Amino acid sequence: MKYYNLAIMALLSFFLVSCSSDDDGTDHSAELTGSGEVSITFDNGFAGNDLVLGSENAANANGETLTVTRFSYIVSNFRLLNKSGETYVFPKDESYFIISQETDTEDVELPEIPAGEYTTVVFGIGVDQEKYLQGAEGQGDFVTLAEENNMMWSWQAGYKFLNFEGNFTSETVTDPTDFKIHMGSHGSSLDNYKEVTLQLPSNILVSDGMNPNIHLKIDAGKILVGATNSIELSEKAVIMVDAEKSPQIAVNITEMFSVDHVHNANGH
Amino acid sequence: MKKIGVLLGFVFTLFASCSSPDEVYVAPNSLLEFDVPSNFPRAKYDLSTNPPTQLGFELGKKLFYDGRLSANGFISCGFCHEQKFAFTHHGHQFSHGIDDLEGIRNTPAIQNAAFMQEFTWDGATAHLDLFPIIPITNEVEMGETVSNVLAKLQADTEYPELFANAFEEGEINNEYFLKALSQFMIMMVSANSKYDKYIRQEPGGKLSTLEAEGLAIFQEKCAACHSSDLFTDGTFRNNGLTPNPQINDIGRAEVSGALSDNYKFKVPSLRNVALTEPYMHDGRFGSLMAVLDFYEQGVSDSPTLDPLLNKNGQLGIALTNYEKTALVAFLNTLTDETYINDERFAEY
Repeated sequence: MKYYNLAIMALLSFFLVSCSSDDDGTDHSAELTGSGEVSITFDNGFAGNDLVLGSENAANANGETLTVTRFSYIVSNFRLLNKSGETYVFPKDESYFIISQETDTEDVELPEIPAGEYTTVVFGIGVDQEKYLQGAEGQGDFVTLAEENNMMWSWQAGYKFLNFEGNFTSETVTDPTDFKIHMGSHGSSLDNYKEVTLQLPSNILVSDGMNPNIHLKIDAGKILVGATNSIELSEKAVIMVDAEKSPQIAVNITEMFSVDHVHNANGH
Repeated sequence: MKKIGVLLGFVFTLFASCSSPDEVYVAPNSLLEFDVPSNFPRAKYDLSTNPPTQLGFELGKKLFYDGRLSANGFISCGFCHEQKFAFTHHGHQFSHGIDDLEGIRNTPAIQNAAFMQEFTWDGATAHLDLFPIIPITNEVEMGETVSNVLAKLQADTEYPELFANAFEEGEINNEYFLKALSQFMIMMVSANSKYDKYIRQEPGGKLSTLEAEGLAIFQEKCAACHSSDLFTDGTFRNNGLTPNPQINDIGRAEVSGALSDNYKFKVPSLRNVALTEPYMHDGRFGSLMAVLDFYEQGVSDSPTLDPLLNKNGQLGIALTNYEKTALVAFLNTLTDETYINDERFAEY
């Protein structure tokens, strides 16, 4: 019995091995074996400067001066494209993270990435409808994490994709006035989940013992002033569920990410 | 590839057959039968993701009636959802939750939830599993956080074992907590009213002349929104209630943010409606007759009024007094005594 099992396993292993990819490994690929961890650092800033909670930033293009007291967002569904154009999809169930300036949570760690040379990272901002509609099964412990990070809407069983709060002054609003921007999908009626594709300035190499880091710079100033949508807090300072402005913010925040550099050695 | 699958299956069979007979004893659990009544549409809930079991259901029921789901330990789900009133809060226009704070909407009935797509008066969630987060975290309802509830359950002497038995050694976490509550609600099917027996041609299903007339009027004048044997089409509509200026509840627009959704609320099911007064999202009407009077005379125009209630400037639904009496008689045939007395769902 035991020998028979072993024989079958051996046979199976043979089949499985023989099914493995037939890469035409060139350049580095030939030396890259096994797997490694890719970490992504979300380095929050505001218009080119560091983002310091509670400190005033330079006035934006609308003449509004913001002091940010909270800046958190959900990033999800990480994928890496290798130089042959193949996509590695990080396991969806483990692919939801909260970046929070308040708790200084800025790193996303993606373990067990298959060895290879990757050119591009793709990720989502927020929680896609597919995940949401999986119900309890799909959310796992993310509900708790979101709740602890103020990323749940209490009156609506949904996630805030972005929680951006503070106060501001402008030409017309001279007393510091609170602003609150909470953006997420609006139940079943408006899907604000968006994805970002970032080409890396140089390829990252993943292998046993090679755990590269991608260092992103985030410009929170883009939330209000994007390439196509400009939002004035002087006009509306609390934007939570707004069928017109929320989708504009969803587009704007896709513009706030850029790759500053990558580290191919271990560490940052 | 197919061959490998077959081989794998074979290997698993071999392993399975080798497993030792003296494993740790696990309390027996069994799958519950979920029958879709023959006059119902398909269930919306994907049962394959959370098939109700006896122990999962019992755990869900215990949670449903457990005040520890709230901040002060007293407000359970069942506090506002009482079985004998089809799981509504009898005598309460609005329910008082934690610290005697009062909400702004009338407690809806719980029944046939597995057949519904969106939940709460404004459709704040489109998945039954995620619904309980709303009342638990609402500061005027249960005023708690899900994390705190889980911590309380983890510290309890009974719950860890109940979760483990219901979910194959599952720990107390979000997923199983929400799944257990869903299993309880999935099984809450109301489909044994006199009307159901009539439509399924079962014994006890004979409508009186007045009830039958009421049904015919209902089909002509009400069933466009209260459609199918769920008696709702699940949509959000503005039925012409004058907004209460002290509350100014904008309904669906709270969720969508769209002006075009102002004052729209979910079309409620009419099952067990004779038991669930007061009526409307804000519980403003004390009787079914008052509701029908409103549809006949009280509908007010606004930019989002449902077009079905405005026929060339004629607002509302034309109804004679006799028709209203017949409609009320028919609506009474939707009361399901089996459901409101079903011990499976009872607190005690």
